[in-house]
Amino acid sequence: MATQAAFMPGTQTKAETGLWSWITTVDHKRIGILYGVSAFIFFLIGGVEALIMRMQLAVPDNTLVSAQRFNELFTMHGTTMIFLGIMPLGAAFFNYMVPLMIGARDVAYPRLNALSYWIFLSGALFLHASFVFGVPPDGGWFGYANLTSKQFSPTQSIDFWMLGLQILGIASMLAGFNFIVTIINMRAPGMTLMRMPVFIWMTLVVQFLVVLAFPAITVALILLMFDRFFGTLFYAPAGGGDPLLWQHLFWIFGHPEVYILILPAMGIVSEVLPTFARKPLFGAPFVIYSGITIGFFGFGVWSHHMFSVGMGPVADSAFSVATMLIAVPTGVKILNWIATLWGGSIRFSSAFLFSLGFIAMFTMGGLSGVMHASPPVDLQQTDTYFVVAHFHYVLFGGSIFGLVSGIYYWWPKMFGRMLDERLGKWHFWLMMIGFNVTFFPQHYLGLIGMPRRIYTYAPDLGWNFWNLVSTIGAFVIALSFLTFLVNVWRTQRSGAVAGPDPWDARTLEWAIPSPPPVYNFAVVPTVHGRDELWLQKHGDEHTGGKPVPRPPAATAADVASIHLPPPSYWPIVLAAFMSMMMSGLLVSFILVIAGGLLTLWSMYKFAMEYHRPPAEAH
Amino acid sequence: MAHDPHAAVAHPPDAPAPAHGGGHATVKTYVNVAVILVVITAIEVATLYVPGIPKALLVISLLLMSAAKFVLVVGFFMHLRYDHNIMRSLFIGPLILAICIIVALMALFSAFILLPR
Amino acid sequence: MAGPGAHGEAAVHGAAAHAHHDPNIGTTGLDNRKVGMWIFLGSDCMFFGSLIGTYLSYKGKSLGGPTPAEVFNIPLTSYSAALLLFSSLTMVLALDALKANRIKASAWWLFATAMAGLHFVLNQVYEFAEFVLHYGLTLHTSLFGSSFFVLTGFHGAHVTGGVIWLLIWVGLAMRGKLDPRDYTKVEVAGLYWHFVDIVWIAIFTIIYLIP
Repeated sequence: MATQAAFMPGTQTKAETGLWSWITTVDHKRIGILYGVSAFIFFLIGGVEALIMRMQLAVPDNTLVSAQRFNELFTMHGTTMIFLGIMPLGAAFFNYMVPLMIGARDVAYPRLNALSYWIFLSGALFLHASFVFGVPPDGGWFGYANLTSKQFSPTQSIDFWMLGLQILGIASMLAGFNFIVTIINMRAPGMTLMRMPVFIWMTLVVQFLVVLAFPAITVALILLMFDRFFGTLFYAPAGGGDPLLWQHLFWIFGHPEVYILILPAMGIVSEVLPTFARKPLFGAPFVIYSGITIGFFGFGVWSHHMFSVGMGPVADSAFSVATMLIAVPTGVKILNWIATLWGGSIRFSSAFLFSLGFIAMFTMGGLSGVMHASPPVDLQQTDTYFVVAHFHYVLFGGSIFGLVSGIYYWWPKMFGRMLDERLGKWHFWLMMIGFNVTFFPQHYLGLIGMPRRIYTYAPDLGWNFWNLVSTIGAFVIALSFLTFLVNVWRTQRSGAVAGPDPWDARTLEWAIPSPPPVYNFAVVPTVHGRDELWLQKHGDEHTGGKPVPRPPAATAADVASIHLPPPSYWPIVLAAFMSMMMSGLLVSFILVIAGGLLTLWSMYKFAMEYHRPPAEAH
Repeated sequence: MAHDPHAAVAHPPDAPAPAHGGGHATVKTYVNVAVILVVITAIEVATLYVPGIPKALLVISLLLMSAAKFVLVVGFFMHLRYDHNIMRSLFIGPLILAICIIVALMALFSAFILLPR
Repeated sequence: MAGPGAHGEAAVHGAAAHAHHDPNIGTTGLDNRKVGMWIFLGSDCMFFGSLIGTYLSYKGKSLGGPTPAEVFNIPLTSYSAALLLFSSLTMVLALDALKANRIKASAWWLFATAMAGLHFVLNQVYEFAEFVLHYGLTLHTSLFGSSFFVLTGFHGAHVTGGVIWLLIWVGLAMRGKLDPRDYTKVEVAGLYWHFVDIVWIAIFTIIYLIP
């Protein structure tokens, strides 16, 4: 198409190939793909853990796995899905899309960005190393004290969990600082905060949540580490300690964490719906302010996870009211998404279907969540399968559906190929049906008394049928993801080639080739409004229907004058030494010292790498 | 840097001038602030030894004095008084959140007698 | 390489060219590294907030062992507090000297800052040793022992990290590798240093002074 040529520069700097180029990359797009592929692999591992659990629970008095093994499975399933599945999948999109959507060439700290990935990968491998040593964590993903004390968890299983999470937390926080600075400080000229795409806004809120909530779990884990390694009394009742301290610190992190898990998906949905409805997001400022409000108030509701511990009526009431209030901005967003679709000219692409599914499923999860907000009602629901149903509706029905929508939406941009739409629809319907068959009955199971975290149940309780149904649903979900894998396999080899803007979309990432050149934008665009690309193509009522000026065509000189940060091996080296130090805590003190010194040394080298950069000829 | 065409650019790289909001403290200001900080510290410690001082008064005056020191260091030494709003918000927001968390934890653990069980 | 023609074209692209000249200055005119350090310090507020919250939640709930009033050495810790405040002054004097290209003076002020910090840490080591050896207060003696040592220990670790960071700048200055171009980098180290000071202001008052 003639319009495409205007966006494509004359020359294109070719990215390097080969394993070393991936190991030393500081390019946000490659780092995004690394996160995405890793996340998907761990998501599959977490899925297998789920399938084993569902097989164990399919029939009463089952003996497929032991109680101990079951504890390990639900612990690793939860930890993996949250920290190694959803969060890095979100990170994949932050990494790939944030610079593109704000008109930047990379993030604020490219090497720190790479470091975040390698630290994440070390943390993931550290956690899974526990399997190799026969001591996978078994204390639940929330690791309640004092089950996690040395007294009640004498093996190193909890140590793997505790240290693994610390490593992962560092990775997340480093990325958080990076993206906050990037979004604040590297937007293209003309992109005021209110002109940022909603996905960028949600990302910004998420990064603030990360950097402010993770310190709480860092402290909680440090206190646990000191209890286990040095005999402190933080969570030790015999010494006057209160196991509830763990719960408070954990959930001060844990509640913002669930908003960290859902807001990226909400951001994706806020981009996908307008594209496929050919209408701007209805009430975008309200969606933005609601996201900010949710992030802020998310710090005020944590004890709704603790209604059954006996905090007393004042605390219970305070957190109950706060929890109910937080449903309001969420509801505002849902109404705005629906209003976006109203009167739109809708194309039912796979990406769109998943976003639509998000709205429906997340709303259902939100409704069961509001039920929990009442302490007396929660006393029946807590620790039952009703809660399991609730959080799977919001985390799977919400986050996963939203993230998968993002995968289908942005796949052409990242890989230059269109995914097959027919297979995509199969994926959607199988996932939709499988998901609801798996989790809807769990509401009922919970209300008739089935507790969480049990490895089997007696046959005369009336739970048999719906457990079996739930298990069948789980396998349908697995089938749906198989469909996706087949789709990827087929189209990467022979799928339709994607142009820069296959969806006739609205935001800046669609203004450049698919996949983008290594420098993203040959000419940094000037931004006139929220949906800048749409304004360039069609204008809107503010411009009197006239398209706004596009950036000038790039010249070879433009491209030649672009400076990108060179690759570096310090990120992976530093991450490796950090892992050595952390591993030492489980192996030998000497390893800690050696690892620590090497870590300090490589931090120095990392920091000094460009202290006096060689004089560059332009 | 002989061949660096950008040497001709008027804007000196990394010089401290551009990003600061108007104003900059002088050495004299810094020294004055330091002296005030030490004086406040001395008063704080002295307050501890005032005979028969009611506990509430002691606590409140200590908190106020340390808050004053905090504000002085952040505003002058850390330059936040003269800096862009963005940097102020990036620090003050989390600071307020941290204080709220401290107070909430204390309340939940009955450090105050405010919350009946 | 691109000649003056490209330079002219780059000038047309306005802010993009400006960012190209100094990749650390963003489109807000702020330096990435300063913005990054401020949000890091915000995050560190939450870290220390959680630790202080833990200490205060457990205050007075120890089942035994020496009490704070019995062990605290107020004169020593007041001196330590003054040391850190003094070190904040030397830090800003170091920056002031650096900006004026007085590298040697700057290096000396940075060294003084680091030494004040080191003195603080050594005072703390002495204090910890007294607690353990003289009063029998250890990490596992009581809730007070646990929460006190962890809170102040992590603060001391932050100070130690700062001392190392400052000494690195001193070393670089002595080898002629520090000049006004590095102002922002040293400023950022200074922000970290002042933060460590204000955390101590909070800890000194809340833990040591308030009964």
